[in-house]
Order: sequence, then structure tokens, then C-alpha cells
Amino acid sequence: MVENIIEIHNLSRCFGSKNALKDVSLSVPRGTVFGLVGENGAGKSTLIKHILGLWRAEAGQVRVFGHDPVSNPVAVLERIGYLSEQPDLPDWMRVYEYMRYMQAFYPKWDVPYAESLRAQFGVDRNARVRVLSKGQRAKLGLLGAQAHRPDLLLLDEPSSGLDPIVRNDILTAVIRTVADEGRTVFFSSHLLEEIERVSDHVAMLHQGRLVLYGPLDRIKAQHRRITLRFETPQPKAPLIPGALSVNGAGREWTVICNRQRSQIQSLTMSFGTEIVGEDAASLNEVFIAHANA
Amino acid sequence: MPLQLNPSSGVPLYLQLIEQIKHAIETGALRTGDQLPSVRQMAEELMINPNTVVRAYRELEHEGVIELKHGSGAFICESIAPRTKLMQKAHSVVQQAMDRLESLDLTEDEIRRLIENELGRRRSRPTKKKYTW
Repeated sequence: MVENIIEIHNLSRCFGSKNALKDVSLSVPRGTVFGLVGENGAGKSTLIKHILGLWRAEAGQVRVFGHDPVSNPVAVLERIGYLSEQPDLPDWMRVYEYMRYMQAFYPKWDVPYAESLRAQFGVDRNARVRVLSKGQRAKLGLLGAQAHRPDLLLLDEPSSGLDPIVRNDILTAVIRTVADEGRTVFFSSHLLEEIERVSDHVAMLHQGRLVLYGPLDRIKAQHRRITLRFETPQPKAPLIPGALSVNGAGREWTVICNRQRSQIQSLTMSFGTEIVGEDAASLNEVFIAHANA
Repeated sequence: MPLQLNPSSGVPLYLQLIEQIKHAIETGALRTGDQLPSVRQMAEELMINPNTVVRAYRELEHEGVIELKHGSGAFICESIAPRTKLMQKAHSVVQQAMDRLESLDLTEDEIRRLIENELGRRRSRPTKKKYTW
């Protein structure tokens, strides 16, 4: 049994002239939740497609359950439960037909469990997939991803545009997966509240590069929001070495920094400023600071 | 269990959970011998990662606040916290009483004799009266 369910080493990929992923390395330990954040176009879906074996690594290496998903797709895919934003489902099938169809792909498909999920989600077994609402499609996709109790639940912005009840169902699926010993979750999301709620580790992609990576608690502890008061009002954002972002007006400016607190403090001595407030930065602030840095 | 966790706060979730369980014990909402929800139940109820619950439970066990019985669950240990608070309150009562006795110009021996007499009197009383502070 491998210790890291996903291992990515120096992964790079270009689409024409565009660098979609640049030298990305990360590991996802078994039994943990890994949250991936980043702006639209940062490379999150591209990364996930490499995990699924849909893209071959141009440079670097991808290993899932210790296998290369491109050369060994069956060994990898039958242990993955995948759900993306607006899942691609066969419109012409009825729900019960779709469930039977999925069962054929997954040896570990649990029929009673699948049925209990369907009932819990309130999806009509006789309805054709094409008449399902967006939320119901997401739930059906979630059913398909969960019912074979995958060793890896892989979610690509699953909650986008969905109501809080469906988002709750998705979060519950994440929690239950990890509560079952040895199962792992990797999900990308814009909803930072969800990422903060359930992630053990987080990573942030910005223009194809990993700008943040590590345990959630450690990343949050390292990022501080410091409010500085200047002697004289500043006409524009002062240049503060060590700051990821500087916001404010006049005399008071707020800085987000990453482990540079002492550097900023020593600077205030020479700049004629004082620190009037300090707090842990929220993940939202961390995200915006790194995206704009 | 009515616990409120804030994922956006600067305080790590596992620490928030530890503090809230301790608070529940201090206020008497949780008593010695009470069983905490299982890791899975707690995680699902609070909508947090089960690993977070495990971390909190392990820390509480390490501090002697709860006991993890393999196979049965997590139970609240005999806690000194309520007793400590009580003792602090009692101490301030004694201090106030002593202040007043001293202002009456009594000696230490006189004060001690008064207290011993009063304790003796109460021992021989048929029913125990309970005072609320």
C-alpha cells in the first residue's frame, strides 16, 4: 500500500505557447483531504486531468496509487470517483439505467449503497437525465463518484453554481470518504469556506505555478495581516519589502505578509510608522494577496 | 451538541474544538462519564474533516480531559476544573470574612477559635443547609 495516493514531480505542460503548468510538485498522503485553489485558468483542471490520465506528462511525473495513470488506466480509474463542474452525463438515459451503466465499470460498486444515496438525494429513478435540474445532475454525478467507495474522491470545482443544500451533500461526501479509513479526497474549489472547513493540506496555483503548498493550519498561521499607521499620509501604496499586498489610504495601510513579520516590524522603525493592528489573515486575503503579488 | 466552529477564524479548527469541549465541561454541559460523539459523528455534525476531530480528541486525551476507550468511544474524565473554580470563589469569601473580623480587632487565635466552634456546631446539626452563591 502506498503512503502517498498522488505523487506529482516537476509536472509541466504547455498548450501551444501557453504554459498551463510549470514545474508543479505535490504529494497527497492517504487518508487526507487536499484542497486546490486558484483563479480561473490557473491550471487546476489541467492538473486534475493529468491525475486522471487524460493528459500525458510532457515533463515530470505523475503517480496515482503508485501507477502512471496514462500507461495503467484501469488500475487507477476503477479506484477513483470523479466529479467535475457540470458533469458530463448521458442525457438519454434514465437514472436507474445510468446507475446500472456505472455499476458495469466499477467492481466495488455497492448497489444498496447507491440506491440509498439516490433516495437520500431525492433523484427520481425513472427520470431521464436530460430533464434533471443542475442540482440534481450534480447529485447524480456525486452518486456515481461515491457509490463504489473509491480510494480517491477527485472533485473538480464540484460546488460551482449549486445551492447550499447540494453543496452540503458534496461536503458530506468528502467527510464520509475520509472517515472511512484509508480513503482520500482531492478537490479544487473557489469556495474558500469549504476549503478551510475540510482540508488537511492546501495548494494554490497561480498562472501554472504552485505559489502555496502545505498544511492548512501552518499556511494560515504564517500569513499575517498587519495594519501600519504612517506619520504622514501616503499619496499611493507605500513600497514595503516583505509584503505580499498593501491596501489602504492616507495614514493607515494594511499589509498581508507570509512569514515576513519581523522584517516588516524592523522596517517600521525606520519608516516612522507604527503597527496598530495585527491578526491572522483569512484564506480569502491570502488567496488575493498571492494572486496579485 | 451545540458547538460553533468558525473555519475562517485565525484559530485552527482543532483548537476551537478543544476549547469548546473544555468550556462545555466547565459549565457542566458535559459531565464526568459522559460520552462524546464518535469521530465520524462529530465530523459529520460539525461538517469538518474527521482528522481534525481525531487531533482534538488526542490532545484532550493527552491533557487528561477525556479517555479514549478502544472500541467504545471517548468519555469525559473526572475533571478538576469545576472544583478549582469553586475553590477560587470560596477563597474570596474567606478573605472577605477575615477582613471584617480583623476590622473588629480580633486576634488570630480568637478568629481560629470562632471558626472551629462554628464548624463543630455545624457537624452536630441534624440537617445540612446548602447555600447558593
